[in-house]
Amino acid sequence: MNIQEYISSGVVESYVLGLLSAQERFEFEQFCETYPELKAARESFELAIEKQAMENALEAPAQVKERVWAAIQQKPAPKTSKIISMEPTSTKPRSFGWLAAASVVLFIVAGYFAYNYYNQNKELKTTNSDLQAKVNRNDSILNKMLEDQKMMMNPDVTVVNLVGTTPAKASANIYWDSTSADVYMVIKNMPKLPNGKQYQLWSIINGPGGQLQPNSLGLFDMGDDKKVILKMSNVKKADAFAITIEDKGNTGGPTLEQLQSMGKTKLQ
Amino acid sequence: MLSFNQLLEPKTKYNEEQLVVLLNEQNNDAFNYLYDNYSGALFTIINQIVPDKDTAGDVLQEVFVNIWRKINSYDPTKGRLFTWMLNIARNAAIDKVRSKGYRDNQKNQPIIEGENSGITMSSNPEVTDVGLKKILTKLNEESRKLIDLSYFQGFTHEEIAKMLGIPLGTVKTRIRTAIIQLRTMIQ
Repeated sequence: MNIQEYISSGVVESYVLGLLSAQERFEFEQFCETYPELKAARESFELAIEKQAMENALEAPAQVKERVWAAIQQKPAPKTSKIISMEPTSTKPRSFGWLAAASVVLFIVAGYFAYNYYNQNKELKTTNSDLQAKVNRNDSILNKMLEDQKMMMNPDVTVVNLVGTTPAKASANIYWDSTSADVYMVIKNMPKLPNGKQYQLWSIINGPGGQLQPNSLGLFDMGDDKKVILKMSNVKKADAFAITIEDKGNTGGPTLEQLQSMGKTKLQ
Repeated sequence: MLSFNQLLEPKTKYNEEQLVVLLNEQNNDAFNYLYDNYSGALFTIINQIVPDKDTAGDVLQEVFVNIWRKINSYDPTKGRLFTWMLNIARNAAIDKVRSKGYRDNQKNQPIIEGENSGITMSSNPEVTDVGLKKILTKLNEESRKLIDLSYFQGFTHEEIAKMLGIPLGTVKTRIRTAIIQLRTMIQ
Protein backbone atom coordinates (compact mmCIF):
# COMPACT_ATOMS: atom_id res chain seq x y z
CA MET A 1 0.00 0.00 0.00
CA ASN A 2 1.16 3.53 -0.72
CA ILE A 3 0.83 5.07 2.72
CA GLN A 4 1.30 8.64 1.52
CA GLU A 5 -1.59 8.27 -0.88
CA TYR A 6 -3.70 6.76 1.89
CA ILE A 7 -2.83 9.63 4.24
CA SER A 8 -3.75 12.30 1.72
CA SER A 9 -6.99 10.55 0.67
CA GLY A 10 -8.99 12.32 3.39
CA VAL A 11 -9.26 9.14 5.45
CA VAL A 12 -7.35 10.70 8.36
CA GLU A 13 -9.79 13.60 8.65
CA SER A 14 -12.78 11.32 8.15
CA TYR A 15 -11.53 9.10 10.97
CA VAL A 16 -11.06 11.97 13.39
CA LEU A 17 -14.43 13.50 12.53
CA GLY A 18 -16.14 10.13 12.98
CA LEU A 19 -17.24 9.77 9.37
CA LEU A 20 -15.81 6.34 8.58
CA SER A 21 -17.81 3.12 8.50
CA ALA A 22 -16.98 0.54 11.16
CA GLN A 23 -14.96 -1.45 8.63
CA GLU A 24 -12.95 1.56 7.43
CA ARG A 25 -12.37 2.64 11.02
CA PHE A 26 -11.03 -0.79 11.94
CA GLU A 27 -8.67 -0.75 8.93
CA PHE A 28 -7.46 2.72 9.80
CA GLU A 29 -6.68 1.67 13.38
CA GLN A 30 -4.77 -1.36 12.10
CA PHE A 31 -2.72 0.79 9.72
CA CYS A 32 -1.98 3.26 12.53
CA GLU A 33 -0.21 0.48 14.39
CA THR A 34 1.95 -0.31 11.35
CA TYR A 35 2.63 3.16 9.97
CA PRO A 36 3.88 5.77 12.44
CA GLU A 37 3.50 8.47 9.76
CA LEU A 38 -0.24 7.71 9.58
CA LYS A 39 -0.54 8.02 13.34
CA ALA A 40 1.38 11.29 13.21
CA ALA A 41 -0.97 12.64 10.52
CA ARG A 42 -3.94 11.64 12.67
CA GLU A 43 -2.52 13.36 15.75
CA SER A 44 -1.71 16.50 13.80
CA PHE A 45 -5.28 16.79 12.51
CA GLU A 46 -6.67 15.99 15.95
CA LEU A 47 -4.63 18.83 17.42
CA ALA A 48 -5.77 21.19 14.66
CA ILE A 49 -9.43 20.35 15.29
CA GLU A 50 -8.94 20.65 19.04
CA LYS A 51 -7.19 24.01 18.75
CA GLN A 52 -9.84 25.27 16.38
CA ALA A 53 -12.65 24.05 18.68
CA MET A 54 -11.05 25.55 21.79
CA GLU A 55 -10.55 28.91 20.12
CA ASN A 56 -14.16 29.00 19.04
CA ALA A 57 -15.63 27.68 22.28
CA LEU A 58 -18.92 29.21 23.34
CA GLU A 59 -19.83 29.65 26.97
CA ALA A 60 -21.68 26.58 28.26
CA PRO A 61 -24.99 27.38 30.00
CA ALA A 62 -24.38 28.23 33.62
CA GLN A 63 -26.36 25.54 35.48
CA VAL A 64 -25.20 22.57 33.45
CA LYS A 65 -22.13 21.93 35.61
CA GLU A 66 -24.16 21.61 38.79
CA ARG A 67 -26.65 19.36 37.03
CA VAL A 68 -23.82 17.12 35.86
CA TRP A 69 -22.48 16.77 39.39
CA ALA A 70 -25.96 16.10 40.72
CA ALA A 71 -26.49 13.47 38.06
CA ILE A 72 -23.34 11.58 38.89
CA GLN A 73 -24.22 12.00 42.56
CA GLN A 74 -20.87 13.36 43.48
CA LYS A 75 -19.90 16.64 44.96
CA PRO A 76 -17.03 18.51 43.35
CA ALA A 77 -13.71 17.84 44.98
CA PRO A 78 -13.30 19.53 48.34
CA LYS A 79 -10.71 22.29 48.48
CA THR A 80 -8.49 20.64 51.07
CA SER A 81 -7.77 17.06 51.83
CA LYS A 82 -9.05 15.70 55.09
CA ILE A 83 -6.45 15.78 57.82
CA ILE A 84 -5.93 12.40 59.38
CA SER A 85 -4.34 12.77 62.79
CA MET A 86 -1.36 10.56 63.55
CA GLU A 87 -1.56 10.47 67.34
CA PRO A 88 0.78 8.08 69.12
CA THR A 89 -0.90 4.89 70.20
CA SER A 90 -1.16 3.88 73.83
CA THR A 91 2.13 2.70 75.35
CA LYS A 92 0.54 0.88 78.31
CA PRO A 93 2.16 -2.56 78.66
CA ARG A 94 -0.13 -5.44 77.94
CA SER A 95 -0.31 -8.86 79.45
CA PHE A 96 0.88 -11.58 77.11
CA GLY A 97 -0.07 -14.51 79.38
CA TRP A 98 -3.23 -15.39 77.43
CA LEU A 99 -1.23 -15.26 74.24
CA ALA A 100 1.26 -17.87 75.54
CA ALA A 101 -1.61 -20.14 76.62
CA ALA A 102 -3.29 -19.74 73.26
CA SER A 103 -0.09 -20.61 71.40
CA VAL A 104 0.32 -23.84 73.39
CA VAL A 105 -3.25 -24.83 72.62
CA LEU A 106 -2.70 -23.94 69.00
CA PHE A 107 0.46 -26.06 68.88
CA ILE A 108 -1.35 -29.09 70.29
CA VAL A 109 -4.28 -28.67 67.94
CA ALA A 110 -1.94 -28.31 64.99
CA GLY A 111 -0.08 -31.47 66.03
CA TYR A 112 -3.31 -33.40 66.27
CA PHE A 113 -4.36 -32.32 62.80
CA ALA A 114 -0.92 -33.07 61.36
CA TYR A 115 -1.05 -36.63 62.76
CA ASN A 116 -4.57 -37.13 61.43
CA TYR A 117 -3.62 -35.88 58.01
CA TYR A 118 -0.54 -38.13 57.95
CA ASN A 119 -2.68 -41.21 58.59
CA GLN A 120 -5.32 -40.15 56.14
CA ASN A 121 -2.65 -39.55 53.53
CA LYS A 122 -1.17 -43.03 54.07
CA GLU A 123 -4.60 -44.60 53.68
CA LEU A 124 -5.29 -42.61 50.54
CA LYS A 125 -1.97 -43.69 49.02
CA THR A 126 -2.82 -47.38 49.54
CA THR A 127 -6.32 -46.95 48.13
CA ASN A 128 -4.88 -45.03 45.24
CA SER A 129 -2.37 -47.74 44.28
CA ASP A 130 -5.10 -50.40 44.59
CA LEU A 131 -7.27 -48.39 42.27
CA GLN A 132 -4.39 -47.91 39.86
CA ALA A 133 -3.83 -51.67 39.67
CA LYS A 134 -7.54 -52.22 39.08
CA VAL A 135 -7.57 -49.61 36.32
CA ASN A 136 -4.58 -51.25 34.65
CA ARG A 137 -6.31 -54.65 34.73
CA ASN A 138 -9.51 -53.20 33.34
CA ASP A 139 -7.57 -51.37 30.67
CA SER A 140 -5.96 -54.53 29.39
CA ILE A 141 -9.33 -56.31 29.39
CA LEU A 142 -10.89 -53.42 27.54
CA ASN A 143 -8.10 -53.35 24.95
CA LYS A 144 -8.55 -57.06 24.37
CA MET A 145 -12.29 -56.59 23.94
CA LEU A 146 -11.78 -53.70 21.54
CA GLU A 147 -9.45 -55.87 19.49
CA ASP A 148 -12.01 -58.66 19.38
CA GLN A 149 -14.71 -56.19 18.53
CA LYS A 150 -12.62 -54.82 15.65
CA MET A 151 -12.13 -58.34 14.34
CA MET A 152 -15.85 -59.08 14.44
CA MET A 153 -16.77 -55.81 12.72
CA ASN A 154 -14.29 -56.37 9.89
CA PRO A 155 -16.22 -56.79 6.59
CA ASP A 156 -13.60 -59.29 5.31
CA VAL A 157 -14.40 -61.67 8.14
CA THR A 158 -16.55 -64.72 7.40
CA VAL A 159 -18.45 -66.26 10.30
CA VAL A 160 -18.66 -70.05 10.28
CA ASN A 161 -21.10 -71.66 12.66
CA LEU A 162 -19.76 -74.96 14.08
CA VAL A 163 -22.74 -77.11 15.09
CA GLY A 164 -22.54 -79.93 17.60
CA THR A 165 -22.50 -83.40 16.02
CA THR A 166 -22.85 -85.35 19.33
CA PRO A 167 -25.37 -85.21 22.20
CA ALA A 168 -22.78 -83.05 24.06
CA LYS A 169 -23.68 -80.29 21.55
CA ALA A 170 -20.24 -78.69 21.52
CA SER A 171 -20.58 -75.51 19.45
CA ALA A 172 -18.50 -72.52 18.49
CA ASN A 173 -18.24 -69.74 15.94
CA ILE A 174 -15.20 -69.29 13.74
CA TYR A 175 -14.34 -65.76 12.62
CA TRP A 176 -12.15 -66.20 9.61
CA ASP A 177 -10.52 -63.24 7.93
CA SER A 178 -10.10 -64.30 4.28
CA THR A 179 -7.56 -61.48 3.59
CA SER A 180 -5.22 -61.80 6.58
CA ALA A 181 -6.00 -65.54 7.11
CA ASP A 182 -6.53 -64.85 10.84
CA VAL A 183 -8.75 -67.35 12.63
CA TYR A 184 -10.57 -66.55 15.85
CA MET A 185 -12.81 -68.98 17.65
CA VAL A 186 -15.65 -67.90 19.91
CA ILE A 187 -16.71 -70.70 22.23
CA LYS A 188 -20.44 -71.05 22.68
CA ASN A 189 -20.59 -74.41 24.40
CA MET A 190 -17.63 -76.74 25.03
CA PRO A 191 -18.01 -79.31 27.85
CA LYS A 192 -15.05 -79.85 30.17
CA LEU A 193 -12.81 -82.77 29.15
CA PRO A 194 -11.22 -85.52 31.27
CA ASN A 195 -7.51 -85.13 32.09
CA GLY A 196 -5.20 -86.01 29.23
CA LYS A 197 -7.70 -84.89 26.57
CA GLN A 198 -7.82 -81.67 24.54
CA TYR A 199 -10.01 -80.20 21.88
CA GLN A 200 -8.44 -79.63 18.46
CA LEU A 201 -9.59 -77.25 15.72
CA TRP A 202 -9.13 -78.29 12.12
CA SER A 203 -9.56 -76.60 8.79
CA ILE A 204 -10.66 -79.01 6.10
CA ILE A 205 -10.24 -78.80 2.36
CA ASN A 206 -12.38 -80.90 0.13
CA GLY A 207 -9.56 -82.48 -1.98
CA PRO A 208 -9.83 -84.06 -5.43
CA GLY A 209 -11.92 -87.25 -5.46
CA GLY A 210 -13.69 -86.33 -2.22
CA GLN A 211 -10.47 -86.82 -0.22
CA LEU A 212 -10.61 -84.67 2.97
CA GLN A 213 -7.40 -82.75 3.68
CA PRO A 214 -7.36 -81.72 7.38
CA ASN A 215 -4.99 -79.10 8.75
CA SER A 216 -4.55 -78.49 12.48
CA LEU A 217 -5.26 -74.95 13.68
CA GLY A 218 -4.34 -75.74 17.27
CA LEU A 219 -5.21 -77.62 20.43
CA PHE A 220 -7.09 -75.98 23.26
CA ASP A 221 -8.27 -76.75 26.78
CA MET A 222 -11.58 -76.07 28.34
CA GLY A 223 -10.57 -75.52 31.92
CA ASP A 224 -12.28 -73.48 34.60
CA ASP A 225 -10.51 -70.37 33.38
CA LYS A 226 -11.69 -70.94 29.83
CA LYS A 227 -11.38 -68.08 27.44
CA VAL A 228 -14.32 -67.11 25.31
CA ILE A 229 -12.32 -66.01 22.28
CA LEU A 230 -9.26 -67.91 21.10
CA LYS A 231 -6.79 -66.90 18.42
CA MET A 232 -6.00 -69.99 16.37
CA SER A 233 -3.41 -70.63 13.63
CA ASN A 234 -3.89 -68.88 10.34
CA VAL A 235 -5.30 -70.60 7.30
CA LYS A 236 -5.70 -69.29 3.77
CA LYS A 237 -8.04 -71.86 2.33
CA ALA A 238 -10.72 -73.91 4.03
CA ASP A 239 -14.00 -75.52 2.95
CA ALA A 240 -14.97 -76.37 6.50
CA PHE A 241 -13.85 -76.14 10.13
CA ALA A 242 -14.15 -79.00 12.60
CA ILE A 243 -13.41 -79.72 16.24
CA THR A 244 -12.35 -83.15 17.52
CA ILE A 245 -11.31 -84.51 20.93
CA GLU A 246 -7.71 -85.72 20.90
CA ASP A 247 -5.03 -86.89 23.32
CA LYS A 248 -3.20 -84.01 24.93
CA GLY A 249 -0.59 -82.61 22.55
CA ASN A 250 -1.79 -84.63 19.55
CA THR A 251 0.55 -84.34 16.59
CA GLY A 252 -1.22 -86.79 14.30
CA GLY A 253 -4.31 -86.35 12.17
CA PRO A 254 -7.86 -85.91 13.44
CA THR A 255 -9.71 -88.76 15.11
CA LEU A 256 -12.89 -88.40 13.08
CA GLU A 257 -14.84 -90.72 15.42
CA GLN A 258 -14.31 -88.02 18.04
CA LEU A 259 -15.74 -85.25 15.85
CA GLN A 260 -17.59 -82.83 18.16
CA SER A 261 -18.76 -80.06 15.88
CA MET A 262 -18.41 -78.90 12.32
CA GLY A 263 -19.36 -76.11 9.93
CA LYS A 264 -18.88 -75.36 6.24
CA THR A 265 -17.34 -72.08 5.11
CA LYS A 266 -19.69 -71.76 2.17
CA LEU A 267 -23.36 -72.43 2.11
CA GLN A 268 -24.09 -75.11 -0.46
CA MET B 1 -23.68 21.74 45.45
CA LEU B 2 -20.97 23.99 44.16
CA SER B 3 -19.95 27.03 46.05
CA PHE B 4 -18.77 30.20 44.40
CA ASN B 5 -15.37 29.77 45.97
CA GLN B 6 -14.96 26.42 44.32
CA LEU B 7 -15.92 27.85 40.97
CA LEU B 8 -13.43 30.65 41.30
CA GLU B 9 -10.61 28.47 42.55
CA PRO B 10 -7.48 28.62 40.45
CA LYS B 11 -7.39 25.50 38.32
CA THR B 12 -4.74 22.87 38.40
CA LYS B 13 -3.28 22.14 34.96
CA TYR B 14 -3.11 18.55 33.84
CA ASN B 15 -1.60 17.09 30.73
CA GLU B 16 -3.83 14.69 28.85
CA GLU B 17 -2.14 11.55 30.11
CA GLN B 18 -2.45 12.56 33.77
CA LEU B 19 -6.01 13.61 33.17
CA VAL B 20 -6.97 10.22 31.74
CA VAL B 21 -5.34 8.33 34.61
CA LEU B 22 -7.11 10.49 37.19
CA LEU B 23 -10.46 10.28 35.39
CA ASN B 24 -10.17 6.52 35.36
CA GLU B 25 -9.76 6.73 39.14
CA GLN B 26 -12.97 8.83 39.21
CA ASN B 27 -11.01 11.75 40.55
CA ASN B 28 -13.31 14.73 41.20
CA ASP B 29 -10.65 17.39 40.70
CA ALA B 30 -9.74 16.00 37.32
CA PHE B 31 -13.37 15.88 36.25
CA ASN B 32 -13.90 19.41 37.45
CA TYR B 33 -10.94 20.49 35.35
CA LEU B 34 -12.22 18.51 32.37
CA TYR B 35 -15.58 20.23 32.56
CA ASP B 36 -14.16 23.70 32.98
CA ASN B 37 -11.68 23.22 30.17
CA TYR B 38 -13.80 21.50 27.55
CA SER B 39 -17.49 22.20 28.22
CA GLY B 40 -17.38 25.33 26.05
CA ALA B 41 -15.89 23.61 23.03
CA LEU B 42 -18.25 20.66 23.34
CA PHE B 43 -21.21 22.96 23.80
CA THR B 44 -20.28 24.66 20.52
CA ILE B 45 -20.49 21.48 18.48
CA ILE B 46 -23.71 20.43 20.26
CA ASN B 47 -25.27 23.82 19.65
CA GLN B 48 -24.37 23.65 15.98
CA ILE B 49 -26.47 20.51 15.72
CA VAL B 50 -29.13 21.39 18.31
CA PRO B 51 -29.83 25.13 17.84
CA ASP B 52 -32.04 25.53 20.90
CA LYS B 53 -29.70 26.55 23.73
CA ASP B 54 -31.70 24.92 26.54
CA THR B 55 -31.92 21.62 24.70
CA ALA B 56 -28.23 21.88 23.79
CA GLY B 57 -27.51 22.40 27.51
CA ASP B 58 -29.43 19.19 28.29
CA VAL B 59 -27.32 17.35 25.73
CA LEU B 60 -24.13 18.79 27.21
CA GLN B 61 -25.15 17.51 30.64
CA GLU B 62 -25.84 14.07 29.23
CA VAL B 63 -22.48 14.11 27.42
CA PHE B 64 -20.47 14.88 30.56
CA VAL B 65 -22.34 12.27 32.58
CA ASN B 66 -21.48 9.76 29.84
CA ILE B 67 -17.83 10.84 29.79
CA TRP B 68 -17.65 10.29 33.56
CA ARG B 69 -19.29 6.88 33.34
CA LYS B 70 -17.57 5.60 30.22
CA ILE B 71 -14.06 6.97 30.66
CA ASN B 72 -12.68 3.43 31.00
CA SER B 73 -13.79 2.68 27.45
CA TYR B 74 -11.59 5.49 26.13
CA ASP B 75 -8.55 3.98 24.36
CA PRO B 76 -5.67 6.49 24.01
CA THR B 77 -4.11 4.46 21.18
CA LYS B 78 -7.11 5.28 18.99
CA GLY B 79 -7.05 9.02 19.36
CA ARG B 80 -6.86 11.99 21.69
CA LEU B 81 -9.21 12.47 24.61
CA PHE B 82 -10.72 15.55 22.98
CA THR B 83 -11.44 13.65 19.76
CA TRP B 84 -13.22 10.98 21.80
CA MET B 85 -15.28 13.55 23.68
CA LEU B 86 -16.04 15.51 20.51
CA ASN B 87 -17.48 12.40 18.88
CA ILE B 88 -19.55 11.58 21.97
CA ALA B 89 -20.93 15.13 21.90
CA ARG B 90 -21.65 15.02 18.17
CA ASN B 91 -23.39 11.66 18.38
CA ALA B 92 -25.46 12.69 21.40
CA ALA B 93 -26.56 15.87 19.63
CA ILE B 94 -27.53 13.98 16.47
CA ASP B 95 -29.46 11.45 18.56
CA LYS B 96 -31.29 14.30 20.25
CA VAL B 97 -32.28 15.91 16.96
CA ARG B 98 -33.54 12.57 15.70
CA SER B 99 -35.53 11.75 18.86
CA LYS B 100 -39.29 11.83 18.56
CA GLY B 101 -39.76 14.30 21.38
CA TYR B 102 -37.41 16.78 19.73
CA ARG B 103 -39.02 16.48 16.30
CA ASP B 104 -42.52 16.96 17.74
CA ASN B 105 -41.27 20.07 19.47
CA GLN B 106 -39.79 21.47 16.28
CA LYS B 107 -43.02 21.29 14.28
CA ASN B 108 -43.99 24.83 15.18
CA GLN B 109 -40.52 26.22 14.54
CA PRO B 110 -39.56 27.80 11.25
CA ILE B 111 -37.59 25.47 9.02
CA ILE B 112 -34.45 26.81 7.37
CA GLU B 113 -33.92 25.32 3.95
CA GLY B 114 -30.57 24.76 2.29
CA GLU B 115 -30.41 26.99 -0.79
CA ASN B 116 -31.71 25.46 -4.04
CA SER B 117 -31.66 21.98 -2.52
CA GLY B 118 -34.85 21.24 -0.68
CA ILE B 119 -32.64 19.53 1.92
CA THR B 120 -33.06 20.92 5.38
CA MET B 121 -29.87 22.42 6.72
CA SER B 122 -29.12 21.34 10.25
CA SER B 123 -29.21 24.66 12.03
CA ASN B 124 -29.63 28.35 11.89
CA PRO B 125 -26.44 29.81 10.44
CA GLU B 126 -26.84 33.11 12.27
CA VAL B 127 -26.42 31.68 15.75
CA THR B 128 -23.85 29.02 15.10
CA ASP B 129 -21.49 30.39 12.51
CA VAL B 130 -18.44 29.72 14.58
CA GLY B 131 -15.74 27.09 14.44
CA LEU B 132 -16.21 24.33 11.92
CA LYS B 133 -19.47 25.80 10.71
CA LYS B 134 -17.78 29.06 9.93
CA ILE B 135 -15.11 27.29 7.96
CA LEU B 136 -17.84 25.41 6.13
CA THR B 137 -19.19 28.65 4.73
CA LYS B 138 -15.95 29.00 2.77
CA LEU B 139 -16.60 25.74 0.95
CA ASN B 140 -18.65 25.60 -2.21
CA GLU B 141 -22.33 24.88 -1.91
CA GLU B 142 -22.09 21.22 -2.77
CA SER B 143 -19.24 20.44 -0.38
CA ARG B 144 -21.00 22.34 2.37
CA LYS B 145 -24.17 20.38 1.88
CA LEU B 146 -22.33 17.08 1.98
CA ILE B 147 -20.39 17.95 5.16
CA ASP B 148 -23.55 19.24 6.75
CA LEU B 149 -25.47 16.07 5.98
CA SER B 150 -22.73 13.71 7.04
CA TYR B 151 -21.05 15.52 9.90
CA PHE B 152 -23.73 17.72 11.42
CA GLN B 153 -26.75 15.57 10.65
CA GLY B 154 -25.06 12.19 10.93
CA PHE B 155 -26.40 10.61 7.76
CA THR B 156 -24.48 7.64 6.39
CA HIS B 157 -23.02 7.84 2.90
CA GLU B 158 -25.71 5.40 1.74
CA GLU B 159 -28.47 7.62 3.12
CA ILE B 160 -26.98 10.70 1.48
CA ALA B 161 -26.69 8.92 -1.88
CA LYS B 162 -30.36 7.99 -1.70
CA MET B 163 -31.39 11.46 -0.56
CA LEU B 164 -29.53 13.31 -3.29
CA GLY B 165 -30.03 10.67 -5.96
CA ILE B 166 -26.33 10.33 -6.76
CA PRO B 167 -24.26 7.13 -6.76
CA LEU B 168 -22.67 6.00 -3.48
CA GLY B 169 -19.16 6.11 -4.97
CA THR B 170 -19.68 9.73 -6.00
CA VAL B 171 -20.89 10.64 -2.51
CA LYS B 172 -17.80 9.05 -0.98
CA THR B 173 -15.43 10.83 -3.36
CA ARG B 174 -17.11 14.20 -2.95
CA ILE B 175 -17.14 13.97 0.85
CA ARG B 176 -13.46 13.05 0.84
CA THR B 177 -12.74 16.03 -1.44
CA ALA B 178 -14.73 18.36 0.79
CA ILE B 179 -12.89 17.06 3.84
CA ILE B 180 -9.50 17.61 2.22
CA GLN B 181 -10.54 21.20 1.47
CA LEU B 182 -11.63 21.54 5.07
CA ARG B 183 -8.24 20.33 6.30
CA THR B 184 -6.34 22.97 4.36
CA MET B 185 -8.60 25.63 5.88
CA ILE B 186 -8.18 24.38 9.44
CA GLN B 187 -4.40 23.96 9.35
